[in-house]
This record gives sequence, structure tokens and C-alpha cells, in this order.
Amino acid sequence: MATRVAVALGSVVVLAGLLACRPTAAAPLAHREVLPNGIVLLVAERPAVPIVAVRVLTRAGAVYDPADRAGLASLTGAVLTRGTAKRTGPEIDSAIEFVGGSLEAGAGRDNLTVSLTAQKKDLILGLDLVSEVVLSPAFPEAEVARKVSEIQAAIKRSEEDPGTVAARALARLVFQGHPYGIPVEGTRESVARLTRDDVVKFYREHARPDTTIIAVVGAVTVDEARREIMARFGSWARPADPLPLVAAPTASASTKEETIKRELTQTTLMFGRQAISHTDPDYFPLAVASYVLGGGSASRLYTRVREESGLAYAVYSWVSPWRHGASFAVSAQTRTVEVPKVVVMIREELARMGREPVAERELALARQYLIGSFPLRLDTSGKVADFLVAVEDRGLGLDYADRYKERIARVTAADVHRVAAKYFQPGTFGLVIVGETK
Amino acid sequence: MRIAILLLLTVSLLVPSGARANDRVVAATLDNGLRVLLLEDQRSPIVSFQVWYRVGSRNERQGATGIAHFLEHLMFKGTPSHGPKQFARLVEENGGQDNAFTSQDVTSYYVNIAADKLDLVIDLEADRMQNLLLDPKEITSEREVVIEERRTRTEDDPGGFLGEEVSSIAFKAHPYGAPIIGWMEDIKRITPEEIRAFYKMYYVPNNAIVVAVGAFRAADALEKIKRRFGRIPRSKVPPPVLAIEPAQNGERRVTVKKQAELPIVYLAWHVPNQQSDDAPALEVLSTILSGGRASRLYRDLVYQRQLALEAGGDYSYFSIDPNLFWFWATPMPGQTPEKLETELSAHMERLKTEPVTDEEMARAKNQLEAGFVYQEDSIHQRASLLARFELIGGWALKESFMAKIRAVTAADLTRVARAWFSAEKKTVGVLLPKS
Repeated sequence: MATRVAVALGSVVVLAGLLACRPTAAAPLAHREVLPNGIVLLVAERPAVPIVAVRVLTRAGAVYDPADRAGLASLTGAVLTRGTAKRTGPEIDSAIEFVGGSLEAGAGRDNLTVSLTAQKKDLILGLDLVSEVVLSPAFPEAEVARKVSEIQAAIKRSEEDPGTVAARALARLVFQGHPYGIPVEGTRESVARLTRDDVVKFYREHARPDTTIIAVVGAVTVDEARREIMARFGSWARPADPLPLVAAPTASASTKEETIKRELTQTTLMFGRQAISHTDPDYFPLAVASYVLGGGSASRLYTRVREESGLAYAVYSWVSPWRHGASFAVSAQTRTVEVPKVVVMIREELARMGREPVAERELALARQYLIGSFPLRLDTSGKVADFLVAVEDRGLGLDYADRYKERIARVTAADVHRVAAKYFQPGTFGLVIVGETK
Repeated sequence: MRIAILLLLTVSLLVPSGARANDRVVAATLDNGLRVLLLEDQRSPIVSFQVWYRVGSRNERQGATGIAHFLEHLMFKGTPSHGPKQFARLVEENGGQDNAFTSQDVTSYYVNIAADKLDLVIDLEADRMQNLLLDPKEITSEREVVIEERRTRTEDDPGGFLGEEVSSIAFKAHPYGAPIIGWMEDIKRITPEEIRAFYKMYYVPNNAIVVAVGAFRAADALEKIKRRFGRIPRSKVPPPVLAIEPAQNGERRVTVKKQAELPIVYLAWHVPNQQSDDAPALEVLSTILSGGRASRLYRDLVYQRQLALEAGGDYSYFSIDPNLFWFWATPMPGQTPEKLETELSAHMERLKTEPVTDEEMARAKNQLEAGFVYQEDSIHQRASLLARFELIGGWALKESFMAKIRAVTAADLTRVARAWFSAEKKTVGVLLPKS
């Protein structure tokens, strides 16, 4: 039981937060080099604790799912560790778990990521396994079938979680007509249609060295990491085909209100609309504006909806910057009878952000929090590895954190006002309501 | 020769004592009884500062369940010198992250923040240990927040709902049977006076542990803590929890219906806690059953036979009083909870008759050991682990924990399985989706 909800909104939020800032210009975060086949290798030495975190990010996310194959990237990620040219899935599990390590793979909207955590003494075994699953996955027929039924069951079960149901419906409204509007995991029906051939073809087309980023972080030296990665990934051949393209979502987000009936004592509300990513200069003021509105426990929504009115345990706003588009969302859970009141409060607070400038103290708090909390977000090898691949993936550069910090520090009340007036107009949001309906 | 020396140097540079730094823990007990544990970790300019109060739902009485957790919320509602909302504001504008949690045994508060803000955090935590406002207006409003939290975690969450039902019939004497968040009726009823009395009784220096890990000098930090916390007077020792759960004499069972997509099955057995010599074996047994995809329950029920979407087991080594060993499974569509109950029980029966393999034993021990090493990477985790061991008898027990785990044999597992997992000590919970 915690005082506040630990928000687990997925990797996007991690990225949004991580990219928020960095306190002081220090030594570069990592060594970076491009291998001859196009792989970008990032190495950060953290010698104090004898563990190593490895991430292999490849651009094989759900955004590339064919229209009639929703869930294909997700299935591909799920089956990746289920057998290679050399080992079966259970053999892989046994090998890594015998040394107390973990090896996971999974796809999100934009990317497919393989993650390894191991003790330093087991790095060679760990990298052998990582390279096997990335370079020679077998995608055994029986394992594909297993995962299909598992994913279908997981989708079925997720229908009982109001947060998941609301997020899915909201994505559909905000990104209608774009792959981002379709659930990463697909639907039970779309997953039923997926075959091993689909998986093999998808992986062959989308996993390629020239869009792959590898981060090695922990008790390892740059030379050692380069040597071991080159030995395993150096001969991965770059294909001649051009990179696949993805269109940006059209700005036709729906402003509809959608109600999904569930027999629950509490109702989940989720407002959302399209927004902007890091590459837009207005991203920095937007990040600050979102923090002032609903980012922490000093935010306007937290103060008004939770602290002053006792209407919710959870009330938040956040920006989700994806590669091909972004969204801004506000969410709250309240007892069903109070839904109209909370809807009005959220709309009023959205409108107020665009109507009048934020107070100097609110602005200072948001800037100081975003800047000052940065070291806390990079305090383990795993978090550093996640950050490195994310920054590289978006082409932001290893100094991005420093630049971002400067940009956040420079955000003025007028900037926040201007951006809020543009992105926080209540009438531009779609709204999903999950719960009892009258 | 030169090469050899360089190699040695490299090795010692690569493997400094960071992960084995317990010998550098500075432990002190102030005159007022406050226990202080400090560990320098200079890797990043940050500190994790935590205050653990030895009070949780186990200290509650019937009719006032949830009061420890309710008070945890109110700890963010201000003192005369730091008004309502100021705590979170001060932490955030100094770039810190804070939160708290309540368990059956403890209530814990943490602030992770830049190391040069240590003075601020010490001041805030010492202040709210002694001077909490507990304004009735704030209590009225926060009560609604806690009720919403209960709706999220329990009323509208099938797993949380079933877990509460199972605990409540598994214990008939000990307060572990009541939910940490409290029964809805109690949350609605608890009065400001009761909360104040609870705060006065349990939030005293001689019932608390301060743990800090991070980029400070331990001697300085200790001085600062003494200066600020040292002024708080020692108080009466809070009353001990006297309830002892009587031995269970027959299977107990509960079935609930709820809006859900899939059923859930829980099995729970009364087992001993860390005070027992059987505890290390139970910890290993739990890992063999559910530590990862090579574990027994996953490999058999989820992977090989696809009877379950998820299956696992859980043991609370650190529990202050003897607690439950849980088994759980979510049947795949088309599978029944009865089938999963039978299969989970069969796994337990097998442990009684058939020794685990050497590979399973080695894997479980390696996983437990590696888990310790991974925790060393995070200052927050390092601090929490010290506190958890301190709560069960002393932070230094952390050192002997792995030795105890390593000493566990296959015969020990068979023995503890026979000793504790008998049919009459079992409680079964089943959640069925309302059709």
C-alpha cells in the first residue's frame, strides 16, 4: 500500500522522463562507435558493482505490423528467446537462470528490444545467448503456437483491467487510421491469424544491423565490450533493401467521448490528444506544462482533485513521445458518482493552463524537479542502458541530456502559456470512460 | 613482470569492494533509541534516505484495520513548520523523489535526492516524526483518497480481492488476516483521535530505523542525524503484538464471484518465518517453484502443458511473525480452477517424496545470490535491504543469509515440505468470473 501510485505507463514514459534533463555537463555518458555493418555500439563503464546490463534495440516494432497482422511484432519479440539454431527455449531459460541472470525480449510500438542482466563473471555466456537469439532465432512452430494462445489469453485477461482497457480505447481515438491506434499486442482475432511464416518474414525484414543499437553498461571496459560485440555481431550483414517508411499520423485525432461499460466500483477516465516529440522546440515547454498540470504530487490536478477534494487516488498527465508521433494524456480514477465533477475539474484545469500564465513558483518547481531528479533516473546499469539506446534511437546524441537541461532551464511562463494554449484546449481531447454507466 | 602487475592492478580496479561493502556500514543507536544505519556509496552524487517505523497492519486491532496505512497518507499532510503540501513541494523543488509504503510489519518512508540536500531531508523527516498536524479537515479529505485506493487495489482488482478473502480465513487470531489497507467499514469509521493516539504510540525514535546510503561522509551524516533526531524524546516502548495464530486443524476454502475474464486459484499454507531453521529451505523451495521460466511451476503448468497463463509461489522470509506460503495460478481459457488446484497440490506432494535435482538446487542458490548482487547497484535497494535485515534482528544478518542458503540440502527441502505443507494446514481460494 503506497501513498502514491507508482506509475508504470511503459517505456515511453521512461523515455519522456529520462530525456527530461541532466544536471551538469560532465564526462560523456558513454563511448559511442559505429561498427562496419552499421550497428551503433554504446558502452558505459560502471565498475563498482560486478554486473552488466546489455540492450539490443532493433527497429522491429508494432508500427511495422501489416494492417491485417496486428500483434506480429509483439509475437515476434515473444518467440525470439524460444529457440535458436543451437538451443531450445527451455535450454536458453536454464542456461541464463542457472547463473542467476535474465534474458528477455519484447516489442513495443517502435522497437524490439532484447535485454540481458548478468553478473560480470557470466558476461560471455550472456552475450552468447543474446547474439544467438538476435542472429539465429529458430522461431519453432510449436513455440509460435504456444505464444499465440498465451497472448490471446493475456489479451482476454487484460480486459478486466480498466487502465489497460482505457489506454487501448484512447490510442484508437487519438491515432485513428495510424498504426499507433492499434494495440501492440494485437487483438485476439488478429493474433489468431498469425503464422510462423509471418514471424520469420517480419523479423528478416525488420531486424537489421544498420538500425540496431547495442548498449553495454556495467563492469566492463570499452575494449572488452567492443571485442565481444564485434566477435558476435561483426559479421551480421547489412541488407541492400532500403529502410521501410512509416507515415506520420494525420492530425485528425477524434474528440469523441467513448464509454466502455464494466461492473466496477470506480471509473477510469482518460483524456488524450496528439502532441509533439523531442525534435520540436515546443517539446520542452510542453514537458514543463504537463508537469505543472499533472506531473507530480505538487501539480494542479493532484492538488485539486486529490488533496483538496479527495476525489481520486490516482490523477496524472503525461507526454508520450514516440518516433512517428506523440500524445498527451490525462488520467484519473474516481468513484462512479463523481465522474461528472472530475471531468469538469480536468477540463477546467486544462483550460486554465492556456488562459493564464503559470505562477513563478510552480514553474520553478517543475524546472527544478525535472533537472534535479535526473541523476536518480540513471542510478543503475539497467537504467543507463535503457537511456542510452533511447537517446541513440531518436538521434538525439549523447549530449542531448545536457542540451535538454539547458532547454528546460530556459522555459519561461510565457512559453508554457503559449504551448498550453495550443495543446491543452479541452475541446481538442478525446475522452474514454471505463466503468459503470447510467 | 610488468604485465603481471598491470593485470593485478586492472583486476583490483575492476572489482573494488563496492558490492561487498557491508563492513563499512556505520551503525549507531542514539540515546533516544533511534537506530541509525549509514553506508557511504560515492558512485553518484545522490542519497537514499529512509525512515522505517516498526509498525504495520500487524499492530492494528479489529475495528481499526487500515489505520497504519491511513496514517502513512497523513504523514504528507504537514507539521506546524512545514504546512500541508509543503513536504512534497520541498522535495520536488529540490529534485528529489519521495514516497512511502505500509506493509503488515512496517511503514517506510523514503526520499531519494541529490546528496547535498541531505540536511533538508533530515529536517523534514525528524519534523514529521514528532510534529504531525493531523488536521481533522485533512483527515476527512484523505479518507476519501484511501477509499479510492482501496477500490483500485481490492474492490475492482480480482487478484487483490481474492487475496484478501484467503488471508482473512487463513488467520483467525493473528492480525495478518486483515488487509493492510483495511476493511472499507474501518477506513470509513476510524476517528482523528484514534489516528493521533496511534501516531503518538508508534512514531517514536525508539521504534524507528533511519537508513541512508549515498554520497556522504558517514561521520558527518551521523552528526547531522544526532543533532536533529536526537532532540526527539524517547517514548514508551509500543505494546508488543501478542496474538499467536493457533495451528490450523483442517482445510479452509473460499469461493468468490466477480467480474473477471479468467478464474484465479490461490493456495496458502501456514509456514514459519526467519526465526525458524526451516526458513532458508523454504526460501530455496520458493525459488525452485517459481524463480523464472526454468522453475517448476512455470515450466510445467505454463510452458509444457499450457494449463495456466501464470503460476507461481511466494514466501515471506522477512515476515516478523509466521506467515503464509502462497501458491497461485491463473488457468488458461478452457481450464478449470479445480484442475489448477490439483496440479499445484501435486507439485507440493512431489516435493515431499522426490528430492530436487542438483541442477535445480544450484540454480536456485545462484539466483538468490545474484539477486543480492543486483540489489547492490541501486542505493535505494541497498538501503532497503539493510533495513529489512535490521527489522528481523540486525543488518549484519545479511552477511550470514547467503551462508544459510548455501547450506540448504535436497533432504532439507523434502523435510520442510513434509513438515509444513499438509492438507489440513491449507487454505484455498478460488475466484470465478461472474457470467
